[in-house]
Amino acid sequence: MLGSLPAFTRLEAELSKLPGIGRKTATRLAFHLLRTNEQDVTALAEALLELRRKVGFCRSCFHIAEGELCSICADPQRDRRRLCIVQEPQDLLAIERSRAYDGSYHVLHGALSPLDGIGPDDLKIAELMQRITEESVEEIIIATNFSVEGEATALYIAHLCKQNGVRVTRLAHGIPSGSDLEYIDAGTVQQAVLGRREF
Amino acid sequence: MGALPQRTEAVVLRTTNYSEADRIVTLLTADQGLRKGFAKAARNSRKRFSGGLEPFTRAIFHWREGRGTLWSLQDAELLDGHYGLRDDIRRLALAGYGVELVELLLEEGEPQPAVYSMVCAFLAYLATGGDPAVARLLLELRLVNDLGYIPHLLHCSECFRVFHQESIRFDTARGGCLCLACAGGSGFEISLGTAGSLARTLKVESDRFAGFQFGELTLHEGQKILSQVLRSILPREPKSLRFLAQL
Ligand SMILES: [Zn+2]
Ligand SMILES: [Zn+2]
Repeated sequence: MLGSLPAFTRLEAELSKLPGIGRKTATRLAFHLLRTNEQDVTALAEALLELRRKVGFCRSCFHIAEGELCSICADPQRDRRRLCIVQEPQDLLAIERSRAYDGSYHVLHGALSPLDGIGPDDLKIAELMQRITEESVEEIIIATNFSVEGEATALYIAHLCKQNGVRVTRLAHGIPSGSDLEYIDAGTVQQAVLGRREF
Repeated sequence: MGALPQRTEAVVLRTTNYSEADRIVTLLTADQGLRKGFAKAARNSRKRFSGGLEPFTRAIFHWREGRGTLWSLQDAELLDGHYGLRDDIRRLALAGYGVELVELLLEEGEPQPAVYSMVCAFLAYLATGGDPAVARLLLELRLVNDLGYIPHLLHCSECFRVFHQESIRFDTARGGCLCLACAGGSGFEISLGTAGSLARTLKVESDRFAGFQFGELTLHEGQKILSQVLRSILPREPKSLRFLAQL
């Protein structure tokens, strides 16, 4: 029935390409937009275009940026001697939310994956090594995920950095704070036991 | 839906994210060979799968029949996460190569209990600091053997005579080792000692990895032999091999 409405079908198809949006949700959103006033729809369309036109990646750390440098790299208050390495911009935002860190970042845009053939050349690793030699970096804090891919990436970067005489640290991991041991999954407990430390 | 879920021990070879929260998991099972499972909402419920839906994890899976041959995974009890692999990039990458080989060489649903126990032992050996070169040679040799592709080692593949010269040649396309008279320059040269070592190694139970000592020459030539055999049977070059080469 909707096949005779090419404009509607087109919007529906575009919406369903978005992550987490299935066919039903796409239809619901399309109906919603159909009932929205023209001003709001124009604002949405312009916001989408502006995102594509104005937002790119910081030329130094590869976080998202409007302009050459991201807000963190442009901030003179941030400590440039420490670089925190993350897989994705979202991970950077998670660390920023913690307010536990005032150094700089480097976003890799992915992780090494032996099984998918994603190697060092597919990530921003050469750019990282260049920063380490050019900027006087003293410590690298590796904050890649604690998955097999994230760990592979961490090991690889640690190896390269140590060759350059830079101090390398890794985010601690294990039992989440404020949680009861009995509710933690066995994998996390197994890793926490293996990674126990002097007390 | 009323029946109790089935129970199978397996190692996770690969996981692929599917939509927002689900995962498709490739398993090497103890008794049913290679199988694929669908883990609904796996990324939101670590607890249900014991954090156990990552490559190299050995666990007991509870499953029901799903769509087609895809199992519907209910939950998992962790046996071993092989987290020791995460201490060394070479061992981790080699573990990746091992599971990719298995995925490429086994048929889905065909039981391979010997391969299962061998792969478990391979992962456990690497996760506890085992020698990567030894692990690779043993894994490749045993996989080739278990799947019925072992080349002739102790006699000439063409005249079937037992070798009495130290120098022989090897050519997968012609069945394996060759005496110099039969070889006529095809394949590459290897030492009789290497062929002997490989043959002797196959006499040891295939889930034993510790305690092997190979000389440099055996490791080097053995690697060359097995690479050629594997190239002839693999449907494509393993991606993890390119990764290993970059380390
Ligand atoms: Zn930046
Ligand atoms: Zn011969």
